[in-house]
Amino acid sequence: MDLTNQIILLGSAVLLASVLAGVLSNRIGAPLLLVFLLIGMLLGEEGPGGIAFDDVQTAHLFGSLALAIILFDGGLATPIKHFRVGLRPALVLATLGVAITATLTGLFAAWWLELNWLEGLLLGAIVGSTDAAAVFSLLRSRGLELKQRVGATLEIESGSNDPMAVFLTIALIELIVGGDEQGFGLVMLTEFARQMGLGALIGLAGGFALTALINRLAMSPGLHPLAVMAGGLTLFGLTAVLGGSGFLAIYLAGLVIGNRPLESTQNIKRFHDGVARLAQIGMFLMLGLLVTPSHLLPVAGDALLFAAVLILVARPLAVWLCLLPFRFPWREQTFIGWVGLRGAVPIILALFPLLAGVEHADTYFNIVFFVVLVSLLVQGWTVASAARTLGLEVPPTTHVVQRVELDIPGQQELELVGYRLAADAPVLLERRAPHLPAGVRPVAVVRERQLIEADGLADLKAGDYLYLMAEARALPGLDHLFVATPVPERLTERAFFGDFVLDGEAQLGAVSAVYGMAIDPADRELSLDALIRRSHEHPVVGDRLELGQMALVVREVEGDRVTKVGLKLARTG
Amino acid sequence: MFSPDLISEARIGCSVEIASKKRLLETLAELLANDHPRLNTELVFERLLERERLGSTGLGHGVALPHARIKEINEVLGAFVSTSTGVDYDAIDGEPVDLAFALLVPESATEEHLQLLARLAGMFSEPTTRAALREAATAGTVLQLIEASEAR
Repeated sequence: MDLTNQIILLGSAVLLASVLAGVLSNRIGAPLLLVFLLIGMLLGEEGPGGIAFDDVQTAHLFGSLALAIILFDGGLATPIKHFRVGLRPALVLATLGVAITATLTGLFAAWWLELNWLEGLLLGAIVGSTDAAAVFSLLRSRGLELKQRVGATLEIESGSNDPMAVFLTIALIELIVGGDEQGFGLVMLTEFARQMGLGALIGLAGGFALTALINRLAMSPGLHPLAVMAGGLTLFGLTAVLGGSGFLAIYLAGLVIGNRPLESTQNIKRFHDGVARLAQIGMFLMLGLLVTPSHLLPVAGDALLFAAVLILVARPLAVWLCLLPFRFPWREQTFIGWVGLRGAVPIILALFPLLAGVEHADTYFNIVFFVVLVSLLVQGWTVASAARTLGLEVPPTTHVVQRVELDIPGQQELELVGYRLAADAPVLLERRAPHLPAGVRPVAVVRERQLIEADGLADLKAGDYLYLMAEARALPGLDHLFVATPVPERLTERAFFGDFVLDGEAQLGAVSAVYGMAIDPADRELSLDALIRRSHEHPVVGDRLELGQMALVVREVEGDRVTKVGLKLARTG
Repeated sequence: MFSPDLISEARIGCSVEIASKKRLLETLAELLANDHPRLNTELVFERLLERERLGSTGLGHGVALPHARIKEINEVLGAFVSTSTGVDYDAIDGEPVDLAFALLVPESATEEHLQLLARLAGMFSEPTTRAALREAATAGTVLQLIEASEAR
């Protein structure tokens, strides 16, 4: 009895401390995951916690489970519209990119550590996959938004490259344990086809089936998220038991479920967001516990060199090669190359050789752990400043407001939003009645705890609470009216897009007649849309084109068509 | 600083009753043409409209800054109108426009012309300036406000 209570106290105290430490780490900009990892190490056998945990089998079980849940949530939260710009480059990065990175780092490891070439490749494969969740939590916590092409590519890549790294690791272990180097090509090929084929098939089919099932069955709303999670994990287990890639299956199932009309979508997504965070905290604490910090020291030198090759050579080179056909601007390539953050996946993959009884597996584990530490520290800490330096932020579209999404089946997505008007809210500064965007109805105004007449919202005061019923697409317009923009000067819409707006269909010749910039006479008839698409096949908000002393900045796109272009006039001194 | 001839009381209209974007541009064109020997309203209106066809000059927050290059003048020429109720102007933020400054620049000017436009846009991006202009009841007050905000 006493032991039970002590375990509950300890466990929950650690969790609480981790969550609070997370809040703190946002303030100082340290990557969250690094903090959890360090807390785990402090609790471990050589820290003040003194907990001896070295059960690789248990770690593998919980690690895989946590990873599956995190990938599921990643799929659920990825909007299908990101596929327009991100899917193809991300898929190339997730397959070919991982293979190139693994080969380069693997061959280096084989040469430097004097390993068999298969063992070297194994080490390369283990560190092959990236973790974008860390990147995004870091950027979001500071209200930064990346250009869509970069954000979408990184997001989809990190969701879909874990299965590739898992596949490479398992296949290489089989080859090493089997001692059969002859069959390298054949084993790789059949294993790839089986894992990815089964994963994709069961994941996609399962996602559709699960959506249909949940929409058809009447159950209390509280059960929806649980049903979805249990369904997702069942797909994961089923695929893995059949010899496919469970991680691919659950990620794809998440993608399907997150983008299909579904009962209580918001409920489901919020639940999984929370569970995924818990999984992340738990996984990193556990991995921190598992490692023996003093064993890291002997491999530190080699691991540091290995990390340097990975971060400075292999990843940038792989990204450059993979993105060649997509003609990404160099700033975006540089950023994607730099943000190859390594998270928990490599550490979990490093458990595979331990379980399989591969020679030197301990050393691999310690090297990989060290590499992840270095990556979290160096790349994690510099992500935000790299995005700023390379100019890849765009003005954020929505700010955090109080909102309740109304889950009425069969209805368009309506939300009840509430604003507390600060004294510097734009609507108060303008001193005129707000013009509400289409699809918005005022519901109530509360002043000093009294409901007051909301006639046309003509008489709003600072401190009022304002409630409106709005369609989701009207939210940015509402924020524009009721929330003072907290963004830095360089990211205000005016500073970013320039003062004036031109239609994408406007002809270059007509624009030059007004502003007098020099253009190629052959381009007179060209629309701005066509001009921009000449250098950006899939344009995204924030793409720039210099035109003499002026600059055109893409402001709105519909599909691949540029509809609004910001015009930045020459800088005034 | 703005050139002293940029705007005058004669080219300022306060709280004018206007119902459409077309009427707003016509009013501005009249103010500009009436005060200049070589300009006529139709020509100015046509030029301003040509620019609008490339994309609305509504800057957001109820401000519009229509502008055009025109060879009949040798100096920049501005006019200002505030309307009693907002006019649907197809601005980027969808807000109706109730403050409009029209700017004509000579055919030859380029760099200066752009800088002037940027400065005017900067002036209207100040919420306090906009609020003050909305409350101004006479052309004289408007003129003072514009001159005061340029001094800053």
